Amino acid sequence: MDEDVLTTLKILIIGESGVGKSSLLLRFTDDTFDPELAATIGVDFKVKTISVDGNKAKLAIWDTAGQERFRTLTPSYYRGAQGVILVYDVTRRDTFVKLDNWLNELETYCTRNDIVNMLVGNKIDKENREVDRKEGLKFARKHSMLFIEASAKTCDGVQCAFEELVEKIIQTPGLWESENQNKGVKLSHREEGHGGACGACYSEPSRRRIKGFD
Amino acid sequence: MAADSEPESEVFEITDFTTASEWERFISKVEEVLNDWKLIGNTLGKPLEKGVFTSGTWEEKSDEISFADFKFSITHHYLVQEPTDKEGKDEVLEDVIPQSMQDLLCMNNDFPPRAHCLVRWYGLREFVVIAPAANSDAVLSESKCNLLMSSVSIALGNTGCQVPLFVQIHQKWRRTYVGECQGPGVRTDFEMVHLRKVPNQYTHLSGLLDIFKSKIGCPLTPLPPVSIAIRFTYVLQDWQQYFWPQQPPDIDALVGGEVGGLEFGKLPFGACEDPISELHLATTWPHLTEGIIVDNDVYSDLDPMQAPHWSVRVRKADNPQCLLGDFITEFFKICRRKESTDEILGRSAFEEEGREIADISHALSKLTEPAPVPIHKLSVSNMVHTAKKKIQKHRGAEESPLNNDVLNTILLFLFPDAASEKPLDGTSSTDNNPPSESEEYNLYNQFKSAPSDSLTYKLALCLCMINFYHGGLKGVAHLWQEFVLEMRFRWENNILIPGLASGPPDLRCCLLHQKLQMLNCCIERKKARDEGRKTSTSDNVTNTYPGDAGKAGEQPDVGKSWDSWSDSEEEFFECLSDTEELKANGQESGRKGGLKEMANLKPEGRLYQHGKLTLLQNGEPLYIPVTQEPAPMTEDLLEEQSEVLAKLGTSAEGAHLRARMQSACLLSDMESFKAANPGCFLEDFVRWYSPRDYIEEEVVDEKGNMVLKGELSARMKIPSNMWVEAWETAKPVPARRQRRLFDDTREAEKVLHYLAVQKPADLARHLLPCVIHAAVLKVKEEESLEIISSVKKIIKQIISHSSKVLHFPNPEDKKLEEIIHQIINVEATIARARSLKAKFGTEKCEQEEEKEDLERFVSGLLEQPEVLVVGAGRGHAGRIIHKLFVSAQRLTESSDEAAAMAPPEEELKRMGPPEERRQNSVSDFPPPAGREVLLRTTVPRPAPYSRALPQRMYSVLTKEDFRLAGAFSSDTSFF
Repeated sequence: MDEDVLTTLKILIIGESGVGKSSLLLRFTDDTFDPELAATIGVDFKVKTISVDGNKAKLAIWDTAGQERFRTLTPSYYRGAQGVILVYDVTRRDTFVKLDNWLNELETYCTRNDIVNMLVGNKIDKENREVDRKEGLKFARKHSMLFIEASAKTCDGVQCAFEELVEKIIQTPGLWESENQNKGVKLSHREEGHGGACGACYSEPSRRRIKGFD
Repeated sequence: MAADSEPESEVFEITDFTTASEWERFISKVEEVLNDWKLIGNTLGKPLEKGVFTSGTWEEKSDEISFADFKFSITHHYLVQEPTDKEGKDEVLEDVIPQSMQDLLCMNNDFPPRAHCLVRWYGLREFVVIAPAANSDAVLSESKCNLLMSSVSIALGNTGCQVPLFVQIHQKWRRTYVGECQGPGVRTDFEMVHLRKVPNQYTHLSGLLDIFKSKIGCPLTPLPPVSIAIRFTYVLQDWQQYFWPQQPPDIDALVGGEVGGLEFGKLPFGACEDPISELHLATTWPHLTEGIIVDNDVYSDLDPMQAPHWSVRVRKADNPQCLLGDFITEFFKICRRKESTDEILGRSAFEEEGREIADISHALSKLTEPAPVPIHKLSVSNMVHTAKKKIQKHRGAEESPLNNDVLNTILLFLFPDAASEKPLDGTSSTDNNPPSESEEYNLYNQFKSAPSDSLTYKLALCLCMINFYHGGLKGVAHLWQEFVLEMRFRWENNILIPGLASGPPDLRCCLLHQKLQMLNCCIERKKARDEGRKTSTSDNVTNTYPGDAGKAGEQPDVGKSWDSWSDSEEEFFECLSDTEELKANGQESGRKGGLKEMANLKPEGRLYQHGKLTLLQNGEPLYIPVTQEPAPMTEDLLEEQSEVLAKLGTSAEGAHLRARMQSACLLSDMESFKAANPGCFLEDFVRWYSPRDYIEEEVVDEKGNMVLKGELSARMKIPSNMWVEAWETAKPVPARRQRRLFDDTREAEKVLHYLAVQKPADLARHLLPCVIHAAVLKVKEEESLEIISSVKKIIKQIISHSSKVLHFPNPEDKKLEEIIHQIINVEATIARARSLKAKFGTEKCEQEEEKEDLERFVSGLLEQPEVLVVGAGRGHAGRIIHKLFVSAQRLTESSDEAAAMAPPEEELKRMGPPEERRQNSVSDFPPPAGREVLLRTTVPRPAPYSRALPQRMYSVLTKEDFRLAGAFSSDTSFF
């Protein structure tokens, strides 16, 4: 159990209010979807252990409130994070437009510069899409982020997003190693029985590979 | 292969080890090791390229074997070579003599600048050495030596190993080896003579040739010609006083209180002694044949000026004393001290503190008087005075660690605002450091130190300086105490701390910096509150900012937002009649009844009008309330808080509790909102606070008009969700009368206490990143003057290395030491470069081309073990070296004879070209410190009809010893 956990990673989810940050997290940790999830107050916290390429990583995920007023609180939680998931709502352009503000915030408050950023376009199950996938891709490329579109409701891309992010973090030396410097680090690349980075929770045809731009 | 099966069978024969003698056991162990290392048989490598002994990689393998209970280590040294692919090992060349024998004659690697002594003496590319394992052990008696040699001989014969096998005899420091190499029908004996005193006949070439010939005992006449290589090495030591440019700082003057020499806030740099201690000039005659030159006891042709090859190496002083390095090292040492400030200063600060607090309450009561004018002048000098008095009181007549002048200078340096006559208003002093965007400035981000213009950074440098020059640890403790007192003084008197960026603690900086920023936040709020109290009599209620009204959602300026709120040390502002009335109204506001009365309530705590939004109920404009600022946090507080939040677990209840714990801010905002907008609904609040949770749709009403209809989002409508809950409990109370979310008094006291209990060691650990940061900047600055590419690279490495180490809490001492060590190395390298440049006068060189050559030569000396002098004695560098030697010679002569001679400088000018001068002066150079002679030939031994085999003898003669190392091969076929 705990002793074969390679490392504990701190991950932060940010983005405008109502884009589905808490729903994405709930889908990932509990594999459920609750359309009536209350708006987050301050920060919330969840834990999940996942295995990527045979490496077990314990994720401490901090979910933040998107409201402007709460934003003065949350920057403190950026400290020491190894990965950040930046979420927008593909059906609301204003949440996409505000991404620049969030990146500024990231830049200002992150205590390290090798942190892994991922952009997630949420709610692709909805019909009234306002932001094209290409736009998301372009934005991610411009800012050297991982990119994926997802739906917390249909489960599309959620697992994949977290796994890819963790994989990327583990591949970045110095970002996490010293977390358990005294235990000694093993980085095995066992290939056994792990069909790609994506879990089984979504079907092959709709599968979207994540593209990393860095 | 016959040789292969033989040893194995023998090993099998000795199954019963009890019957085998210790000697046999030893031999079999040696064989075992040779087999394990696959040193069997002859593998011919490529001929050795020029310089490969230095440029290539040498590796070694070791094992331990014992003879009875005497332990030996057996080591295989070898030059790593690319495997010769085409002809594999299988192609056994029966008649070919072993590689090592061939290498004896190879002339490409004579006198390698860096190599194992056996390589230098015999030109071998691989060999095995058996030496006593313990350093103190030695094989001394002749019979033991013989026994070992016999073992070696048997082992080589049994295994068919063609790698030379040496045994180290006598004491280790004598480096005496005997050895043997066996090939098919041939054998080379490696012999050695090591003497303290040189027999007179061996000090010159002709004597050495005689001994070589007699050792070979060649029956042929005439003897085949002997090839000769000679190297004389001259050492130059006496140059310090003439060519060392840097004056060490006058430490005495500094200790005496004169601070002028070294400014506070700057780090010193450079070596105190010449980091280049010696120059070794090697003059080489690489290829001479017997008879071409004469070198005997009365005459010698070997004039160093005429030698075809010159090469130079410099001896770098071991760990030269470098100022910057010493500074950091000494500072780092504080980290390991255990004493507390009080123990160091020999008094109880807590006792004092009680009195101090009494003083302060007195000061406070003064402050509450109508005109609380902070006396800025007092802040530093007054403190100095009182502290000094206190210390004197407690330590009797003893001097305080820091004298007044030094302390005053430092405090003025740290707190420049104390010097200015006009009272500074807080904000201007913090804003006068516009952060530059340069990469250099932002280094603090990587080091987790503090900006280079910040108080924290300056404090680190001052402590560094004090530790080194002004009283060491005691001085550090003293300054720290003064610093803490000053912090308290500023808190009590509402004077902002200078040199800190305003705003909440910058989490990218070190914790101490954050704490100071936190204290500043507290001072700022307290100051605003105290000032607010003065003006609060005319509390303007409808506080509209017409200019800002258009920009909805923009955060109001931090400085303005709280100037009208929070006015008490108590948690609540108790005003019975008022609150009771509000309570009643607040409860009603959740429901729809009694709205009329609600609207009549006097609005309070408005900041400005929100763009176009109006209240849903009565169409009044929606006002953005004055709100409480969230509490600033330092990283340790944050850690604590997130730990508490995380501990609640991931269950639904945990999440709920977590949200509740964090809802204070939401509730406070709701109360402010209610106060500013009488008669408002949650919908109104949400439209300001979380606009996306208010969904508007265009609907057609009964009359067929398009009407905007809005409602709360689904998640806001969940019954009894926390937002609704909070809204219902919120009373219309303006921010200034709410319970304070951030208790600045408590937080300030916490910070001040934290500062007070820091031991010097803690302090040093806090500030070490700043010191490393400063040191790196200093090294960078110095490097930019010299431009040494290798150093530039190392600096980059140091930066990335330290940013990795310093980013984690409590970095290991070992890693910190490593960083410091790297910085010291860089400093020494730069100092060496300067020393060499000065010595060779690269700056003075006028011709562009020559200058470039010279610079290349100098940088070569820094990076390579040995540098060839282009043009030997006639080249530009060669002439300079010659002059250096000549002037050193003059110096010794003049001091020896104490004769009235012309000063060396003039002498130098008169000298003219070296060729001319040689005639009137014989001793431009001192006697060579080392004479190396290599003699080689190929002759048949032992009989005239034997195979002609390589013979080699190396001799080295220095002041202290004389060594002959001979390798004599013979044909063993018929003997």
